[in-house]
Amino acid sequence: MSRCLAFAPFIGARPGELTALEEEALREHLATCGSCQARLADEKATSGLIEGALLAAASERDFTNFSDEVLARIPAYARRRGRGGFFAFARRHRLALATSALGSALVALGLLVYLSARAPEPPALVEVDTEGQSPIVLETSDGPVVLLGDEGHEGS
Amino acid sequence: MEADDLALVARARAGEPEAFRALIVRYQRKVYAVALGIVLDRDLAWDVAQEAFVRVHQHLAEFKGDSSFSTWILKIASHLAIDALRKERTSTKEELEEVRPADLAQGGEGLLATSLGSDPEHNLIRRELSSRMGEALAALPEKHRTILVLRELEGLSYEELAARLGIRRGTVMSRLFHARKKMQALLRDLRDAARSREGAEVKEGSS
Repeated sequence: MSRCLAFAPFIGARPGELTALEEEALREHLATCGSCQARLADEKATSGLIEGALLAAASERDFTNFSDEVLARIPAYARRRGRGGFFAFARRHRLALATSALGSALVALGLLVYLSARAPEPPALVEVDTEGQSPIVLETSDGPVVLLGDEGHEGS
Repeated sequence: MEADDLALVARARAGEPEAFRALIVRYQRKVYAVALGIVLDRDLAWDVAQEAFVRVHQHLAEFKGDSSFSTWILKIASHLAIDALRKERTSTKEELEEVRPADLAQGGEGLLATSLGSDPEHNLIRRELSSRMGEALAALPEKHRTILVLRELEGLSYEELAARLGIRRGTVMSRLFHARKKMQALLRDLRDAARSREGAEVKEGSS
């Protein structure tokens, strides 16, 4: 037990971290000490658990905006972003922008077709040549009616 | 082929935001994991991780490539995480660093090795413990949690830990010993709970 007090902290050292003397003494102790052999086995079994668990926790987080948020905190990039922000955004999100532009165009086209199908036909326009005569216009319930003078009557 | 870190650093230094973004994306999860392991708060870890990248960007001109970019960013992240904890800390209770006979008498050493096995992929208890590691880390004193995260995630050596934490090499070894011992005791408790649940499920399945 008393020798374990000295050697237990050495357990878990990586190659080259102990002096040659320490390494040799630890090797000799481990050869005869069951408790320290068990400690070494526990150390090996649990090695990597912390790293694995923390990296797994990191993987559970969504890092989509992480780099954007970092760049926004860097004054030099934040200024540049202010000037050419949209273009930088457009470069990074080309596909999304193209898809939304196409979608908007299709919606607009559909709306145009729908509205033109529903719109009432405008009244037919008739060109009337009065040949210098003053026309008489009657307002009727069907719209204005232009009365022209009779050619025969005029010639008599 | 992905550009290497040094090439990306050079391009970022020249003012290319997309190069710096590539570095962020490459290391964001690891940096966040280190911060989370120390501060144990998802939002604070997120903020610390982002601030680490901001600080790195501020000092890009000073990066000479003597150490790797990942070493550099993780070092800054752990510094910031420790600072963030210090700001929030209310208790400054220190524990004994020395190893006493009672420390060796407690616990059932070797039992974890037996039940956890060595195959991480096919060990249900190991997966269960891994998923509950957050609870175990939260139950550890701050200095023990910090030294374990620096050792396991940053991979710091005894000498580097001594320099980073401002303690002697012997203190590093004894603190790591205490930290592991407490962590293993917590894992044993979690393992026993997992075993009880497994046993109950097997009974239910066979009845």
